[in-house]
Amino acid sequence: MLQLDIRHRTGAFMLDAEFETPSGTITAIFGQSGAGKTTLINMIAGLIKPSDGTIVSDGHTLFHSEKSINVAPERRRIGYVFQEGRLFPHMDVRRNLGYGHRQNAVLGFAQIVDLLDLGALLERRPATLSGGERQRVAIGRALLSNPNLLLMDEPLASIDVQRRSEILPFIERLRDELGMTIVYVSHAVEEVIRLADTMVILSGGQVAATGGVEELMSRLDLFPLTGRFEAGAVLAATCQGYDTEYGLAELSFAGGTLRVAGPEMDIGVQVRVHIRARDVSLMLGRPEMTSVLNVFEGTVVEIAETDSPQVDVRLDIGSPLIARITKKSMHDLNIRIGVTLHALVKAVAIDRRSLKGSTASTSPRD
Amino acid sequence: MALAILLLTWLAPTAARAERVLVFAAASLNAPLAEIARAHERKTGNRVRISFAASSGLARQIDNGAPADLYVSANMVWINWLQARGKIIVASKSTLAGNRLVMIAPKGSATAMDNFSGSAVMRLLKGQRLAIADPGHVPAGIYARQALSALGSWRLISKHLAPSVNVRAALALVERGAAPLGIVYASDAFNNEAVDVIHRFASASHMPIQYIAAAVAGNGGRAADDFLSELTNGRSKQVFKKYHFSRD
Amino acid sequence: MWALSAIETEAIGLSLKVAFWAVLVSLPLGVFAAWVLARRRFYGHALLNGIIHLPLVLPPVVLGYLLLVLLGRQGPLGALLFDTFGITVAFTWKGAAIASGVMAFPLLVRAIRLSYENVDERLEAAARTLGAGRIKVFRTITLPLIAPGILAGAILAFARSLGEFGATITFVSNIPGETRTLPLAIFSAVQSPGGEDAAIRLVVISAAIALAALIASEFLARRLGPKG
Repeated sequence: MLQLDIRHRTGAFMLDAEFETPSGTITAIFGQSGAGKTTLINMIAGLIKPSDGTIVSDGHTLFHSEKSINVAPERRRIGYVFQEGRLFPHMDVRRNLGYGHRQNAVLGFAQIVDLLDLGALLERRPATLSGGERQRVAIGRALLSNPNLLLMDEPLASIDVQRRSEILPFIERLRDELGMTIVYVSHAVEEVIRLADTMVILSGGQVAATGGVEELMSRLDLFPLTGRFEAGAVLAATCQGYDTEYGLAELSFAGGTLRVAGPEMDIGVQVRVHIRARDVSLMLGRPEMTSVLNVFEGTVVEIAETDSPQVDVRLDIGSPLIARITKKSMHDLNIRIGVTLHALVKAVAIDRRSLKGSTASTSPRD
Repeated sequence: MALAILLLTWLAPTAARAERVLVFAAASLNAPLAEIARAHERKTGNRVRISFAASSGLARQIDNGAPADLYVSANMVWINWLQARGKIIVASKSTLAGNRLVMIAPKGSATAMDNFSGSAVMRLLKGQRLAIADPGHVPAGIYARQALSALGSWRLISKHLAPSVNVRAALALVERGAAPLGIVYASDAFNNEAVDVIHRFASASHMPIQYIAAAVAGNGGRAADDFLSELTNGRSKQVFKKYHFSRD
Repeated sequence: MWALSAIETEAIGLSLKVAFWAVLVSLPLGVFAAWVLARRRFYGHALLNGIIHLPLVLPPVVLGYLLLVLLGRQGPLGALLFDTFGITVAFTWKGAAIASGVMAFPLLVRAIRLSYENVDERLEAAARTLGAGRIKVFRTITLPLIAPGILAGAILAFARSLGEFGATITFVSNIPGETRTLPLAIFSAVQSPGGEDAAIRLVVISAAIALAALIASEFLARRLGPKG
């Protein structure tokens, strides 16, 4: 568990953050460029000294401005995977991996090499590796130092989109198989939705919100920060069946059942589902003879108006669901808080699967 | 219009008549030569420029065509060398002055010497070195070597020398106290607040120290001849004596 | 014509010894100075940089004189050295090494500083997060990466030391066997009538050694240049 409460001023920029991250989870630090994310994790790592505050990891005080405690980075037992990898150019992969290696029964050299599929790369030099390979080595190197906490600063930013899907599963395995606590900095919402359990939203140096990913992503007031285009409900669901004839997975969640086209899935697999607001339509009456498979009935609990011609409507269907409709429609249909109506979900993105199922990311449309 | 006036002034007769003389002279003659030159300039209106350096270096430069009108050496050796190469006008050779060799110590270092001998010198050195102009090629050093040989102490003392580029540098070492003893010209020690003379070498213990002037072949002219005459007249002899450039 | 006399061999040997020690002793100091200039920001940074570069712009004789003032028997440092350790550097090959070292120091620092500036400080930060303390970081990350610069700088300083004349002759004078390095030997040969042959021999040897050193330095700097 990491407890952080700091303030730091550089020039005109003031960073003021307080949050906790539970052990054995992935916490995302999310925000736009310049929000202060990298500065924040550099402070956790001990590379920057905050002006004021405290940082405590698993009960060990790493920084305490009033007691003049500032543990040097090399003694914090915090692994750091940098955005550019930062592999040592004058060493081969094997020596890079072994650089900070502390003997430990759980994280053995062979295990890590296996976990991250580095066997073929051991004798190579960093300059000859691809971006994805370099990041895997960087992750392995950080892990082999047997850290209590792993920091990752936009590790996928410098990797092309196709390769990213190679590495994401490795990161999930770190949490699932090794029980690693990870603080993951990102400005990409899809990564956060895919990987994180909790998130801290940073904006202009201040913490806008902290909490579970599903909860925060469904809050209308945070949409400007999390990104309007991708905004929408994020829900936990469990696979309860698979229709092999039509290739549809049946996912049950708090609001009912979702039927999603996609590859075969085992029963019991837990997934996280992302329903973008722009993919949800509203209808006053009950829809009949429609191609949309997923229809839910619910009550309007919140409406967020903006300067644009569209509004976001939050429904309670047993679970939050968000729809984006035009202001005109809202007025024509007289949609207000408390009104009951039907939501038609046209597309569902399954953004994460546990290791028990397949690891592809799909975005099927009905 | 202003430009024309400027030009005319520049080309004025008095300026046109002023000639220039370039003299290459041994470094030790700095003080007396400068005084003689300034007086000569005031009298004749000619410009006398003197380049002071080691006699050896100057001789080589003249041999290689340096545009010097006159050469004043602290040693006959280099005059002969240039003569053998036809670089000087033999008839113009004139002895200007002499000098004495002295041993000096930093002022107040309390080195009284009753009996001057090689072992006395070694004692005073106290394991340090004797400052001397390079005995390999600098006249002052060559004379010093002769004087020490006459004393029978050259073999002994030669292992404890600090040979300098020229005699002024050797003087500077003693002035600074970097060397406890030095051998320089009497003219160097004269009027020097930083050193004491503790011994005057007998003139007979070395080749005569002579300062010889000669006109350089191929250069010169009337102004150079004028200055050479000046250097050998009675007034100049007094100046040399004043600065202790004499055998007495 | 090409047979070397004993005097000449002695001058060559002495030059090599003096240059070797000059570089060896300046190296740790040079690495430190380069680190300070490359990595630290403080008031007086420009002043320190200027002082280190003085030997490049001041007349060598002036520096020789300064060394004499400081390290001669009567000088503050010289007297201290003698009284405490019984060491004299004036008029010894050690003094010649000091003179050479001082004159070559700016070249050494420049080459190493350039190397430092080519080392990504972020790599050092990464090493810290992997459990390496400052000393281990320097030993395993920084030093290997600046090694080519150190080598190139050392060779350049060696070549410069071989050619050092003005400061040497002013500080330690021209003592055969003790301080008569190649440049001083050449000077003496030129001063003596009939010494031309010896002078040419020594000049050729000097030039050959210096050229070899400079080529080696250039070659190494390019070959071991920035990687990855």
